[in-house]
Amino acid sequence: MTDYEVVIGLETHIQLNTKTKIFCACKADSWDDEPNTNICPVCTGLPGVLPVLNKAVVEKGVLLAKAMHSDIRMRSFFDRKNYFYPDLPKGYQISQYDLSLASGGYLDIPMPEGYTRRVSIHKLHMEEDAGKTKNAGNLRLIDFNRCGVPLVEMVTGPDLRSANEAAQYLIRLRQLLRWLGISEADMEKGHLRCDANVSIRPKGSDQLFTKTEIKNVNSIDNVKNAIEHEVERQIREVEAGNRVHAWTLDWDEEKNELRKMRSKETEADYRYFREPDLLPLDLTQAWLDEILADFPELPLERKSRFISEYKLPEYDADILTGERNLSDYFETAVQQYAGDPKKVSNYLMNDVLRMLNESGKTANQLKLTPAYLAEILKMVDAGQINTSTGKSLLEKVESSGRSPKSIVETEGLGLVSDDSAIRAVAEKIVAASPKEVETFRAGKETLIGWFTGQVMREMRGKADPKLATQILLELLKK
Amino acid sequence: MELCDRSAHKLLELLRSKQVSAEEIVRSSLQRIAAVDGRPGSLESGEETEKDRQSVHAFISVAAEQALDQAKSIDRQLAKGEPVGLLAGIPFSAKDVFCVKDTYTTAASKILANFKAPYTSTAVERLQKQGAIMLGKVNLDEFTYGSSNESTAFQPCPRNPWDTSRVPGGSSGGSTASVAAGEVPLSLGTDTAGSIRQPAAFCGVVGVKPTYGRVSRYGIIAFASSLDCPGPIARDITDAALMLQAIAGADPRDSTAANVPVPDYLATLEQGVKGKRIGLSPDYFQISYMDAESGEIHQKPVQEDIRAAVYHAAEVLQRMGAEIIEDVPMPNTRYGIPAFFVISRVEAASNLHRYDGVKYGYRTPSAEDDLRVMYRKTRNEAFGLQPKLRILMGMYVSAAQYSEQYYNRALKVRALLRRDFDQIFDPLGKYRLDALLTPTTPTTAFPIGAIYGDSVLMQYADQFTVTANHAGIPGISLPGGIAADGLPVGVQLLGPDYSEHTLLQMGRSLEIGTQDEAWRSQRPALTLRW
Ligand SMILES: [Zn+2]
Repeated sequence: MTDYEVVIGLETHIQLNTKTKIFCACKADSWDDEPNTNICPVCTGLPGVLPVLNKAVVEKGVLLAKAMHSDIRMRSFFDRKNYFYPDLPKGYQISQYDLSLASGGYLDIPMPEGYTRRVSIHKLHMEEDAGKTKNAGNLRLIDFNRCGVPLVEMVTGPDLRSANEAAQYLIRLRQLLRWLGISEADMEKGHLRCDANVSIRPKGSDQLFTKTEIKNVNSIDNVKNAIEHEVERQIREVEAGNRVHAWTLDWDEEKNELRKMRSKETEADYRYFREPDLLPLDLTQAWLDEILADFPELPLERKSRFISEYKLPEYDADILTGERNLSDYFETAVQQYAGDPKKVSNYLMNDVLRMLNESGKTANQLKLTPAYLAEILKMVDAGQINTSTGKSLLEKVESSGRSPKSIVETEGLGLVSDDSAIRAVAEKIVAASPKEVETFRAGKETLIGWFTGQVMREMRGKADPKLATQILLELLKK
Repeated sequence: MELCDRSAHKLLELLRSKQVSAEEIVRSSLQRIAAVDGRPGSLESGEETEKDRQSVHAFISVAAEQALDQAKSIDRQLAKGEPVGLLAGIPFSAKDVFCVKDTYTTAASKILANFKAPYTSTAVERLQKQGAIMLGKVNLDEFTYGSSNESTAFQPCPRNPWDTSRVPGGSSGGSTASVAAGEVPLSLGTDTAGSIRQPAAFCGVVGVKPTYGRVSRYGIIAFASSLDCPGPIARDITDAALMLQAIAGADPRDSTAANVPVPDYLATLEQGVKGKRIGLSPDYFQISYMDAESGEIHQKPVQEDIRAAVYHAAEVLQRMGAEIIEDVPMPNTRYGIPAFFVISRVEAASNLHRYDGVKYGYRTPSAEDDLRVMYRKTRNEAFGLQPKLRILMGMYVSAAQYSEQYYNRALKVRALLRRDFDQIFDPLGKYRLDALLTPTTPTTAFPIGAIYGDSVLMQYADQFTVTANHAGIPGISLPGGIAADGLPVGVQLLGPDYSEHTLLQMGRSLEIGTQDEAWRSQRPALTLRW
């Protein structure tokens, strides 16, 4: 049996999270809205009205292009992609064709197995979305809400070698989109859509064989699942001596199977030409500088810096850079704390992450600010509270919004370091335990632990244990 | 002379000095319409009658009631001494591609016969803001595709007020006919290859094709978006300047409308032509066209009295202080029409995609389960011959396997045409022209039925005007005489980007320089009967 290599390229459509659509002032996101409520003459293609480009779309597109290491074109063009479909009200889609916003680029995908896959970017352009068509009996219902929603279409080279790599690409892309704040990147809501081009070839070949295109997959797990199914099917076909046809396949989530949508042996001719209703898009250097002024450190760069600068284990660094707010939170807390970053990481990984998951908040929404977290850590280090008080403080700060110090004070959670208070209890314990005093004085000095324990119990854990030990030793050695 | 035969600026004078009321002006226009326009164009026109053959048929729809209401409200404002707009009380017509909120905008096509726009085009909105009163929508070639108005789906088609057996030109033929016939002093047209200037020449009125981007295209049903220019049609230069003043300028709803300040066109209008350099080019005195059967290139000089009128205009301008530069080469002029054939049809075919029977406009009455059949029937039943021809050719020349050979090549030709103009207008170049003076059309208005059906020959009526659309530069056509056949002759002035004020100034000089010539007092036959 031949060994096969899998060749996968992904076409993604990324819905940008702008307030308004790409060419009109309608609200862009209609997830919670009734059909045909966010529409106007421009996005429904009435005659005579004209598109006006939303600058925020360009700005978000530029951020993505930069993150993909693409060459950004200072002058790009919009083109018309002509085809007929009822949910495409103008009969053409305004897109970018040969001279789009950016060209080239790549994204490095660190695989859990330890290697890194570099995925080249073949296409990156802005375009408007079409509407949605729904069949209801013999009626065809059209929702134009989605018409004109801004998209970036990004197409990779045929560089991915397994369903798992494809899934990792999507995970890293989603992470990046959210990191840049340009898309909600929620596949279930269609903010991130993915079509997969899949082919197989004998290992060692560098030829590209006939590919199939898998469409309508709405989660990363399903992308992985669908590709695995398709690879198995292609291998079965080839092994049986058949050839793979250039089909378009539809993933049926409920049945967990692929369905053939149509044969796609010839490319459709969209008769692209320059959109005459829009001027060429000129990025001035000043505008570009403004867009990129706050360009953030990217997740993978930050991850390796966390490892080298804060000596975090790779596992911690990966989780703490999973989301930009969390990683900013971590870094601010480390700076405020000025102690061992691993201690901060432990608090975050164990407790803060759980709080975030349970509340659905993001790190920047917490009342438990990085400064408060640092304060708690410092109090533990200084022996002002013990570790378990520290942990219980996290919830208290979060629910009240008060500072850890003021909670410790009003609730009396601090360790008692008042010499006379501890001395009084210690004297009482020594007086009440003649047998133990005698044994201690006879040389069994390890019994000091028992005495300290008694003091601590009497004071319900609030005594500073070091001070208690010191006073007890003084009394016992008299 | 009745009120409706007066120019807009004269009417404004009378109105402001309270010698007439806006209501009287509007009533005078409505009476003229009732007298000369005949029945309005409609989809079910039936047999053509003798009366039809002697009427103008400029209007598709007349909004008499609204117009009178607006006139009365302007009269009330004037009576109270309240400030009114630049064009308060002046009637105008709009080519039926200008959308006006809650009124029908048909593009003279069956497919949009029932379409009411929920918005008003910027040009109409700006005229209304200045107090101008829209009397109605005027006819055109279906979707503006033509040079004679014969292709309108709303028959009877408009006729030339100078001779109703002749075409008014096109595609803004309803506009120029309505102005020439005294029905309105002003009309809004659009110019894609000469659609304002050619019918203006045929009807003996002034037509201005502004610089591309000078006037917003918002709310105008598109032909070829990269070439379309809305502009004024009027009876004299001063009225055209007034109207351009009102409609020009940037528009946030049209990103191709230029952010260039609008000068005061009236302020410079009377400044004369002293020292202006005006060119004449031999390439604008002959047409070259290909025989559809043999493929041979024919060359034909323009009609002699047209050539004479242009040279006469040059002499007048020279007498008034302009410098005339002859033999200016414009070598790519002859490729203007072939390049236009390709570019305009690619854009037109795409612009027509939206008329699919799904959302608005005509839909085939035969119930169809198959969407594609519904599309085909709808478009087949409701598009006339001209849109169909443009769709066919547009689809062909933009197909992946032909676009290099046709579409991309046409774009290169377009760049060459622009270069011709850049060179002659270059202030440091050999010619340093302020304007090029040319005939507007190679012939005077042709008889109805004479050319219709020969799309190639029809298009050559635009050979001298289409170059300005390719280059994006402004051009105006104004009356330059009356030919031996008794029909008006138009002369054209072409200038560099945003030189409308200069062209208007030259046009005004030409008006002044010819004001005592006999032809100036001739009026269209039809307006004399009443
Ligand atoms: Zn909209």
